[in-house]
Amino acid sequence: MDHSKQTQYSQNEKKDAGASSSVLNGHFDGMAKRPAGGTGRAATAAAAQPPGAESSSHRPAASVMESWREERTRSVEDNEMSLPSLAAAYTTILRGLGEDPQRQGLLKTPWRAATAMQFFTKGYQEKIIDVLNDAIFDEDHDEMVIVKDIDMFSMCEHHLVPIFGRVHIGYLPNKRVLGLSKLARIVEIYSRRLQVQERLTKQIAVAITEALQPTGVGVVIEATHMCMVMRGVQKMNSKTVTSTMLGVFREDPKTRDEFLTLIRS
Amino acid sequence: MEYHHVSAKNGVADENQNAEKLSHIEKAYTTILSELGEDVKREGLLRTPLRAAKAMQFLTKGYKETIQDILNDAIFDENHEEMVIVKDIDLFSLCEHHLVPFFGKAHIAYLPNKKVVGLSKLARIVEIYSRRLQVQERLTKQIASAIAEALEPAGVAVVIEAVHMCMVMRGVQKMNASTVTSVMLGSFNDNAETRKEFLALTMQK
Repeated sequence: MDHSKQTQYSQNEKKDAGASSSVLNGHFDGMAKRPAGGTGRAATAAAAQPPGAESSSHRPAASVMESWREERTRSVEDNEMSLPSLAAAYTTILRGLGEDPQRQGLLKTPWRAATAMQFFTKGYQEKIIDVLNDAIFDEDHDEMVIVKDIDMFSMCEHHLVPIFGRVHIGYLPNKRVLGLSKLARIVEIYSRRLQVQERLTKQIAVAITEALQPTGVGVVIEATHMCMVMRGVQKMNSKTVTSTMLGVFREDPKTRDEFLTLIRS
Repeated sequence: MEYHHVSAKNGVADENQNAEKLSHIEKAYTTILSELGEDVKREGLLRTPLRAAKAMQFLTKGYKETIQDILNDAIFDENHEEMVIVKDIDLFSLCEHHLVPFFGKAHIAYLPNKKVVGLSKLARIVEIYSRRLQVQERLTKQIASAIAEALEPAGVAVVIEAVHMCMVMRGVQKMNASTVTSVMLGSFNDNAETRKEFLALTMQK
């Protein structure tokens, strides 16, 4: 199975030099090992990245990188500093909608909504490295490991309206296994962001690949998008299914079939 | 959609006002995105403030609609005094405390008193009141009162079961909890048998 590893995981770190603004969305030209702590994008926001943090290598704002390749972090202090402006923005929204921000039910809504929104985007504060570092174990196991029906809640980056559904993850270990809850934690980190379902699926798969170098990874997400249900086309029962198959899950149809059958049952 | 914007009747002045409000909301969303630490210039987010502002306006369009507009011509004289139920009306609203959706189903019943209403109008009443910043208790009551005032029936019953994303996605994070509220007016309140019949017909799956 080694040849498949090489086609998928080309260790070409030079590609990640900031000149990759032409990278096709979602094109996995993978890096097997990310620099420790990930790479940060120059934040345009008020969030001040501490200069010493290894997580934020400032890049010129000119290079717009696909966000799935970045690991940005925000601190608790950043969040606290943003809260008043967020609350003020929400007050403006309430007034713009014709509501009375002074009425009893809405008095503290700007603060609640701001805190809620920060919770829904807390994935930006977390790094995969922090969550995974100590839960990778050497096990002589090379059969499929599946964690399915992981409840997932995210925010549509186009309408700022919730997306929710389930994630099913399977991987074929290559001498290294991961603590099972860490798979769910990876889902949390990437889903608690402003997302597009395709990108979310890919990010989860890539994170597991980079952490474990398994023989293969499969991720399937089925979700309901409130932006389609509550507004727009208003289709109550529609579901969106996306999947990412890497390594032997992509190459070998039997493995893929086994995975898809097992998550269905 | 055939609802009438009350504001639309006043012509251009209101349109300008609406456009101005939209741009205020749009600017507020731009602030929100940057305060959350996102990059407002990246491709996926470029037009998000506008989309989010329009989405928010859609989700609160109930403020602009009035019961009179939708009901005035759909009340008919019928000699029918048995229970009329419209159930499993999909309902989507916004929690006024967190600005996060809650959604579920509404079941409505009334006992006509010589006047019946077009069935879809019951669903439209739900739409008017749910497309606002709401509290589930108030929503239920508003729907019941609207029907009571419009038709003067012998009784009205409204039950709403909804899931609140503010409880599921954040806070306590209870995936399977749902909230049920009900309002019983007239004979649904006074007469236990009537109430039981309604509940049996709507709540049994």
